[in-house]
Amino acid sequence: MTSFNYQELIDSEQALQKRSIFWDPAIYEEELKQIFNRCWLFLGHESQIPQHGDFIRTYMGEDDIIVVRGKDKVVRAFLNACTHRGNKVCQAEGGNTRSFTCSYHGWSYNTEGELAGVPLEKEIYDNLDRERFGLVPVAHVESYKGLLFGCFSESAPSLVEYLGDIAWYIDVVTDSAQGGLEIVGAPYRTEIPGNWKLPVENAIGDGYHVAWAHAGAMSVVGALGHGRSDNVLGISANNSGVDQSAAIEVVMNTHTVLTTLDGQSGYALYDHPEPVLAHLEKNRPSVIEKLGELRGRQLYGSETHIGVFPNLQIIQGLNFIRIIHPKGPGKFEVWTYAMCERDMPDATKGVIHDHVRQTFGPAGLLEGDDGDFVEAITHSAAGYATRQLKGFLGMGMGRKAAWDGPGEASPGLVNEACQRGFYDQWRRAMEAHNAHEIIGQTEPTAPLTSILREVRHG
Amino acid sequence: MGNAELKLAPAAPVSFEQEYAIGKFLLMEARVLDEERYPEWLDLLTEDIRYQIPVPLTTYRRNRASTTALKPLFIIDDGFPGLKQRAAREATGLVWLNDPATRHLRMVNNIEVEATDTPNEFFVRSKFLLYRGRRDKDIVSHAGWREDILRQTSQGFRVARRVVHLLERVVMDKNLNMFF
Ligand code: FES
Ligand SMILES: [Fe+2]
Repeated sequence: MTSFNYQELIDSEQALQKRSIFWDPAIYEEELKQIFNRCWLFLGHESQIPQHGDFIRTYMGEDDIIVVRGKDKVVRAFLNACTHRGNKVCQAEGGNTRSFTCSYHGWSYNTEGELAGVPLEKEIYDNLDRERFGLVPVAHVESYKGLLFGCFSESAPSLVEYLGDIAWYIDVVTDSAQGGLEIVGAPYRTEIPGNWKLPVENAIGDGYHVAWAHAGAMSVVGALGHGRSDNVLGISANNSGVDQSAAIEVVMNTHTVLTTLDGQSGYALYDHPEPVLAHLEKNRPSVIEKLGELRGRQLYGSETHIGVFPNLQIIQGLNFIRIIHPKGPGKFEVWTYAMCERDMPDATKGVIHDHVRQTFGPAGLLEGDDGDFVEAITHSAAGYATRQLKGFLGMGMGRKAAWDGPGEASPGLVNEACQRGFYDQWRRAMEAHNAHEIIGQTEPTAPLTSILREVRHG
Repeated sequence: MGNAELKLAPAAPVSFEQEYAIGKFLLMEARVLDEERYPEWLDLLTEDIRYQIPVPLTTYRRNRASTTALKPLFIIDDGFPGLKQRAAREATGLVWLNDPATRHLRMVNNIEVEATDTPNEFFVRSKFLLYRGRRDKDIVSHAGWREDILRQTSQGFRVARRVVHLLERVVMDKNLNMFF
């Protein structure tokens, strides 16, 4: 049990969040344990590691992780820590390898994580039990339609259980993709001085800030082409989204979605959306056939921000996947990956890659605007008096929209429903006694077993 | 460093005057950017410019250059219209993070000039250090090197191609909304 009063930190009735949650190192430590050591966390996409020996590095919380495809084609994830003394066994961000060799004393591990080589083993050890010293695996690794997730908690619910209703929305992205979704290569990475929760809730639900915080960018994006804000609705300079019939924010058990419902405005910020829009319409009949009218017409092609708790955003339209990795209470890394359909024509893929780079890459027209306020909200909480204040996310409270999909919908994308949903979920995760309670299951009361070596080695 | 083959002497000789003029041009260009005179900076580019900033991926030496599923990634890969769009954003007066104004300082040196097969074009390498100061003490620096093609026109030199090589894999700055 913890000593924090989460009712006081997150007041759901009043939609208030105490600002110490962005600053307090003790709360951060608790987050690493309660959230990042228990939730299913995004690791990457299968298309990043198609061959045996292909690997990528990522983080789960602050834990350094190697994700590698073994000889048996199975994807595994390991702590990037040598079992001898703890040095990192991999220093590259990705590539292809037959083994991971520690630079300290040369212990070497194969792509299945087994200890395969120990320099001078015969001479210096009496029967070293290699079995005991394989790389420490992440307890569970599962793929949801190519999206790879890992979970440290031995007794966690399955990935599908964890995703719950959000899978219905993720399917629009994964199942509509011809030949499957494709992430090519490495993400953009930027380190920002702010608390990790701020960019998460900003991306999943803050439609309010777009027209103002990004005013400079919004008045030039799309200016290179034509046919953008004139005939494509959605978030744009001319439509900041106050139209309550044009979008919904949906709060589900655990996760959230914001979507514009018109089937095309995902591409509203593109300079040259024509090839993508043409692709959408060509593909739409088959999407309707696969996923039904509601998803095929209203969600496919819309600007849709899928927020998977705690730190993953899948953003259809802008077409990127983003993860926020915490780096201490006052710092985070943003990882942004462009996503395409594998069988799209190369020229259409190019349009998407260009757009992601120009808008939300490290030099993106919109990307840079958010850094300042994320930093200021975090660092002004260093002041004792400021830290006692509470943020207010009361917009759209009580507004309900009719919606036939899963979750509770609230109208308009200038709305704070998703952000409230995120902080309510944060509170539930922080108060949980096990991984099941995080998603509202009343299930086992078995203690968190994490990835203790004893579990693996008996 | 860079993609060009290492040569101890330039492929074709460049006159002292030309080399001097190119050095002067790069210093003037840096000052125009420091002074946030973006429309004038655009005038120093050719209409067919390609401007790229690749991400320096952290890969093992044996895994270099697209030998695996890791593909090259660019922070900027713009033609003239893209650069114009970035400059236009700065000119809107709506970029709150630049008000109070950002202070810029660019240093350019280690300039090496080579002739190319095109008579009026020069291959120019240079190294830079860019400091950006904002607010009270938000000081960030970026160091790197550039590979340019400069074209000599009747109005003087123009940048026809630029590849900016940064050293940092993880961008340690809130944005890279600046020109190198
Ligand atoms: S720490 Fe890795 S071999 Fe010793
Ligand atoms: Fe934003």
